[in-house]
Amino acid sequence: MLRALELRKDFGGLTVLHPTSVDFRPGEVHALMGENGAGKSTLMKVLAGLYRPDGGHVEWRGARADFASPLDALVAGIAMIHQELMPIPDLTVAENITLGTEPCGRFGRIDRPAQLRRAKELLQELESEIDPSKLMRTLTVAQTQVVEIAKALGRQADVILMDEPTAALSDHEVAALFRAIARLKARGVAIVYTTHKMDEVFRLADRISVLRDGRLISTAPANELDPAKLISLMVGREMADVFPKRSLPTGEILLEVSGLTREPAYRDVSFQVHRGEVVALAGLMGAGRTEVVSAVYGLQPASRGVITFKGRPLVIRSPQDALAAGIGMVTEDRKGLGLIPALGVDQNITLTALRTLCRGQLIDHRAEAVTVGARLEELAVKASRPSQPIAQLSGGNQQKALLARCLLGDPDLIILDEPTRGIDIGAKAEIYALIQKLARAGKGVLLVSSELPEVLSLAHRIVVLRRGSVAATLDATETDQETVLRHAMPL
Amino acid sequence: MPTLDRNLLHRYGLLFVILLVGLGLTLTTDTFLSVANLTNVARQVSINGILAVGVTFVLLTAGVDLSLGSVVALSGVACATFAHPGDHPVFVPIVVGLLTGAACGLVNGVLVTRGGVAPFIVTLGMMTISRGLALIVSGGRPVANMSNELTALAGDFLGIPIPVLCFAGVALAAWFFLRNFRLGRHIYAVGGNENAARAAGVPVERVKLFAYGLCGLLTGLAGVVLAARITTGQPNAGQAYELDAIAAVVIGGTSLAGGVGTITGTLLGVLLIGVINNGLDLLGVSSYYQAVIKGVIIVGAVWLDRRQARS
Amino acid sequence: MRLTPRTAAAAFLAVGALALSASFLSGCKKAEARKEGELLIGFSSRDLSAEYTAKLSEAVVDYAKTKPGVKLVMVDAQSDVQKQFSQVENFIAQKVDAIILNPCELEASTPAVDRIKAAGIPLVLVNQTTKSVGDSYIGSNDFEAGRIAMEAIAKKLNGQGGVLMLHGIMGTSAQLQREAGAREVFAKYPGLKLVDHQTASWDRAKALAITENWIQAHKGKFSAVFAHNDEMAMGALLALERAQLKKDVYVIGIDAIAQALSAVKEGRLDATVFQDAVGQGKGSVDAALLLAKKQPCPKETMIPFQLITRDNLSQFLK
Repeated sequence: MLRALELRKDFGGLTVLHPTSVDFRPGEVHALMGENGAGKSTLMKVLAGLYRPDGGHVEWRGARADFASPLDALVAGIAMIHQELMPIPDLTVAENITLGTEPCGRFGRIDRPAQLRRAKELLQELESEIDPSKLMRTLTVAQTQVVEIAKALGRQADVILMDEPTAALSDHEVAALFRAIARLKARGVAIVYTTHKMDEVFRLADRISVLRDGRLISTAPANELDPAKLISLMVGREMADVFPKRSLPTGEILLEVSGLTREPAYRDVSFQVHRGEVVALAGLMGAGRTEVVSAVYGLQPASRGVITFKGRPLVIRSPQDALAAGIGMVTEDRKGLGLIPALGVDQNITLTALRTLCRGQLIDHRAEAVTVGARLEELAVKASRPSQPIAQLSGGNQQKALLARCLLGDPDLIILDEPTRGIDIGAKAEIYALIQKLARAGKGVLLVSSELPEVLSLAHRIVVLRRGSVAATLDATETDQETVLRHAMPL
Repeated sequence: MPTLDRNLLHRYGLLFVILLVGLGLTLTTDTFLSVANLTNVARQVSINGILAVGVTFVLLTAGVDLSLGSVVALSGVACATFAHPGDHPVFVPIVVGLLTGAACGLVNGVLVTRGGVAPFIVTLGMMTISRGLALIVSGGRPVANMSNELTALAGDFLGIPIPVLCFAGVALAAWFFLRNFRLGRHIYAVGGNENAARAAGVPVERVKLFAYGLCGLLTGLAGVVLAARITTGQPNAGQAYELDAIAAVVIGGTSLAGGVGTITGTLLGVLLIGVINNGLDLLGVSSYYQAVIKGVIIVGAVWLDRRQARS
Repeated sequence: MRLTPRTAAAAFLAVGALALSASFLSGCKKAEARKEGELLIGFSSRDLSAEYTAKLSEAVVDYAKTKPGVKLVMVDAQSDVQKQFSQVENFIAQKVDAIILNPCELEASTPAVDRIKAAGIPLVLVNQTTKSVGDSYIGSNDFEAGRIAMEAIAKKLNGQGGVLMLHGIMGTSAQLQREAGAREVFAKYPGLKLVDHQTASWDRAKALAITENWIQAHKGKFSAVFAHNDEMAMGALLALERAQLKKDVYVIGIDAIAQALSAVKEGRLDATVFQDAVGQGKGSVDAALLLAKKQPCPKETMIPFQLITRDNLSQFLK
């Protein structure tokens, strides 16, 4: 139905998509897989009319199609859900969903009741209970994502392109999305899908195309592949083991949190982290995981509760207090709380531990350069030069640089909030290895992650949060995804 | 020039504009390129230069200081009040002027950090408050009768005007500070991303307080130098000086959004404005046209500069 | 004390409350003080931070105090046309018996004058005219001042030589008139050449910088500087002294402010033209009282200018 014929796309003299031909069939879910920068999003954006191809063309219903804009593609029946969400914050949910397709009464007046009805229907299809009359800006990231999906469904498109639609969704929202996709499939809609999550691909896809460095590596039916095979196709080498072996924790308690409370985000949260242990906080979106670790790091202090660190009670009012005590953190919100975009990779890395690279108040530039060089090599951060502005790096390299910043101060407890979100599989594997290395060195690691396979294979213990309270503390070696999910789901 | 980094190109872009204007003036006047006139330019830019260096710190933290001109007047009046011949040793009026400026800056800083009021509003308030205080302290009249020791600050030392030495010293110290001090690095971090800097353990409030305080101190210095230069403390002096200073800093490549900028850039921005002012007088351009030409050159310089930086 | 937002807010409120109650109390006093039959006169001064205007305003206030049964309220427009306009509106609302207006500008202040006339309140303009005329104008002819200053230069240079001129803010009536007066003298002496002219906006620091630049551009080609006011003359003087050129250049200003007078006394400044601030101030109060009592009053009273040099300085120093 939709076919890419020798499509090529260049950016500033660099070919980001080499001539690629794929076809997409009605009633089929076609997954595009590849590491960050492999060309998945570029291919999608050319198909959706966002980019003009520099070579080749798109064939639509057997005829050559030259989409000059996303609107052309939309009119033809091709809709896209973008990875970067593009809502209009001051319109209501219903207005966003029906944007451009508003049901109109006489004289072009918008029929508000019909608009609300239509929005509600589309949201119900996704089993979502978002109130369509709410303002877009009041929604969470996950809810915004759901609205964007509903918007695409409302186009009655024959092809829907989904660029990482589940990146911000909780598991039951993902499940609802999958059921909606199944219904679309039955209706004969073609779905093009990208994700970083292995399990999703095999649950969903009929066929899988793998891209690497802007080239199409293979297209194959999903049942001819397995995760290991897929990963090796994506990274171009065999990955013996993405998840390295777990270390054995020592007995000494490093961090003890008891009765931590800040209404309404979380209440009466208690857990321990031993030296050499990786403890994961699991739970759905909004269960309070980030809020709890933010309290331990002093970003948003709790209103009640005791934090005991290395055997002594600790008052943590700011990140400065936490860092002084030996607690470091890598944030989930890289853009907002992590990067200083205009500063170089080097200065970003040394920001926290700058004092150790100073003589008095003066920065020892040579010591700084040596330290940065060593860290860049150790963590295999790819930058054109140490002073390259960090904003220019890929997500995975930014994340590694922030890890380097956190580790430079040699903290005893390392808090990692979604350390692998939005980064490619290669960088993920490196971060997994690093976590285990830290644990073996006797550090404590407090891990927040939405990816259950990651949590299950990295952590020793899993603390499951449900609506701000601890629902269970599980031994990771004796539990499975379903058990964790059962505890995480609201009753 | 593929290996040239963006920053360097940026600097060269502005330098190019200044040289172009300078070349034009050398060809059209027979006086521009003379030691006497270049000394003259240096002397005339030194007050705006000192202010521009100070406000660079504030702009780097993503703040703004609109009170510069009024605080110049207040510091000048305060200085002149203590500078009557025979009243006090010469360092007293100087210190009074500096402290007056620093105090205004610190009040700005405290209100911005602890009070959580937007810098625009805080310093707008300080602008009218310090102007009012200058009028109150002086009784609305210029404070004259300043001692020769103090007005000598506008004279020469080893053939170089003392205001120029002050400006050069301030610029050099600021350049060294931003490059080599931990606090200097922290200023960039706070301006680049305040929340991230806080999460990385940077004492954000203290950093901002320092920036506003230092800007105030340098404004006080500018006030003292101006009083010495015009031999009075004028309560209505310094009108709109903040705009010239901020313009120079922004021309020099400092981002109003904070986190990006250099003292070298500020220096070049100050020089460009100074050369234009001097050149238009040398050419005898009418007052009406001067204003238009100045505006065109400033906007043009920034446009050319940014275009070059992007390519 | 740790300054938290709360304590800061409390302090702010406290200060605000104080200020409010203070203004309330003084407001009461004002209202009480206006007795039956007392004449209330409103006076809006252009800018109290300008020395000449401050002197004029002081004379107005002091002279009004000597008149029994007269109450005068002075406000400062700080060279802001809009602000002066609202001050005028306030006077009209208070139903004052007469208004003395020292307008900010020739053109822009005209609407304020029209508003007063529409309200039927007697109006005295002082020191600056507008496009509309008031019931009486007290001033000095700025044209005359410019002429006197340039004549002094022509006499000193024997009608031969280069002159530099520093303008006031372009478009103010004082600037326009003083320039016109000077131009008339240039026309009379073909040997006098206007080498260059610029506006320094009545400002000393600006005049200083411009003169420094002129010294570079026109060194040796000029032997006199005429500044439209003494502030700018002082700036030019400083520049010339620092370049050690003062002995070759004759500098003259207008207004006879205190600093200029002492500079003349010390032999640094050559001359200034005396504008009689006290005479203007007294004249405007007299005119306002006549108008308020509905008595005839001359449409225009000109207070004469006088040239001050070291020779006649003593009669102007108190």
